[in-house]
Amino acid sequence: MKNPVIVLMIAVLGVPFAVAGEDPIQQREELMEETRDALKPLGAMAKGEREFDAEVVNASFAVWKRAGAQFGDLFPEGSESGGGTEAKSTIWTDREGFDRALAEFNEAVDTAMAAQPGSVDELKPVLGGVTKTCKGCHDGYRVKDD
Amino acid sequence: MRGRKRALVGALLILVGAFWWFSRPVPLSEEDLPDHLPDPANGERIFHAGGCASCHAARGAESQDRDVLSGGLVLDSPYGVFSVPNISPGMKHGIGDWEPLDFANAMLRGISPAGRHYFPSFPYTSYARMSISDVLDLKAFLDTLPASDQENAPHRMVFPFGFRRALGIWKRLYLDQNFVMAIDQEDALLERGRYLVEGPGHCGACHTPRNRVGAPRLDQWLSGAPVMEGEGRVPDITAQGLADWSEGDIGFYLETGMDPDFDVVGGDMVKVQENMARLPAEDRQAIAAYLKRTGTGAH
Repeated sequence: MKNPVIVLMIAVLGVPFAVAGEDPIQQREELMEETRDALKPLGAMAKGEREFDAEVVNASFAVWKRAGAQFGDLFPEGSESGGGTEAKSTIWTDREGFDRALAEFNEAVDTAMAAQPGSVDELKPVLGGVTKTCKGCHDGYRVKDD
Repeated sequence: MRGRKRALVGALLILVGAFWWFSRPVPLSEEDLPDHLPDPANGERIFHAGGCASCHAARGAESQDRDVLSGGLVLDSPYGVFSVPNISPGMKHGIGDWEPLDFANAMLRGISPAGRHYFPSFPYTSYARMSISDVLDLKAFLDTLPASDQENAPHRMVFPFGFRRALGIWKRLYLDQNFVMAIDQEDALLERGRYLVEGPGHCGACHTPRNRVGAPRLDQWLSGAPVMEGEGRVPDITAQGLADWSEGDIGFYLETGMDPDFDVVGGDMVKVQENMARLPAEDRQAIAAYLKRTGTGAH
């Protein structure tokens, strides 16, 4: 037998959590964070702070591959503001350009995966190819406020 | 009564005359130019340090097309809407027919070949600190780039900023070829860094806040400012603002666009960083060395 009070409590308390879980702003920020975290060890290798490790490199590429497939859905109409988003209004006014910038990231990740870098010297240009597409999007579609 | 009126008119004329005198353009003359054989290779280095292409390249240009400096970018500022001009070697609308002296006057004095004041959206307040030989080398390099005959769009200024002659007074107040920060002259790396940052690099144009008439507030040199044309804030790049960055971090950032947290550069800094990446590594090190010493009360 269900206790209506408990049902009501779950409904009331649960709503914010359910919404938070599906909040595209939070989701894309987490995904962006993962994308950046995957860059960290590779950047450190390029910087000479860390030994080259092909396994780590491939793991990061895989994260980017997955993230690149998801980003496009995380900027729906109605998620233009709030939650401390750094998304720029241009994402919605120039959707085509934004989608193209994302497609360039995906292409660069595919190129990187196909290149299978085996040393830091091989990694550097491949990494440059990917970060170039990060910049391509951060240039016109992100607001940095610090 | 009549005598009074006459005195008033006289005083007014004197005021107008004084204004006209103090606001007059003061160009360099042929004798100010050194006997210098221009070196376009050095000019190219200055070109990247200055990031000329960031504003002057054809809009939406990629890689090789960024060599076509036909202008066209529109800068929407509180003072008006500036249209970036064509500085390709085109003879009609570019600067192909400029003499070296014309170019030196534009860069170092903010004066056009016709003898008019440029608006300081063209950052001559920084370029005034450049050496004349670097300026002449830069012109020699620009002359090697493809010509464009794209016509220049007019600026659309907000009243009263469109009154060019008044810029003469503005220049007397704010155009200063002296360096902002005092440094140890013995330190060649630091001196190079200061030259690049305060001179051709014109970092202060975005990273230093401006006063009400658009002049840089030197007491807050490089300490960060609102983005002039929109959302966000340009960061503090003094030693304090970069407290968590080593000199190596700054050099790596300028080379690759990755900050110490491996976040990737965005906004208008993307083009700046990509230009800086084309400098020799020692120039990036020099910039890093200088920035780590700014804002420490040295100026």
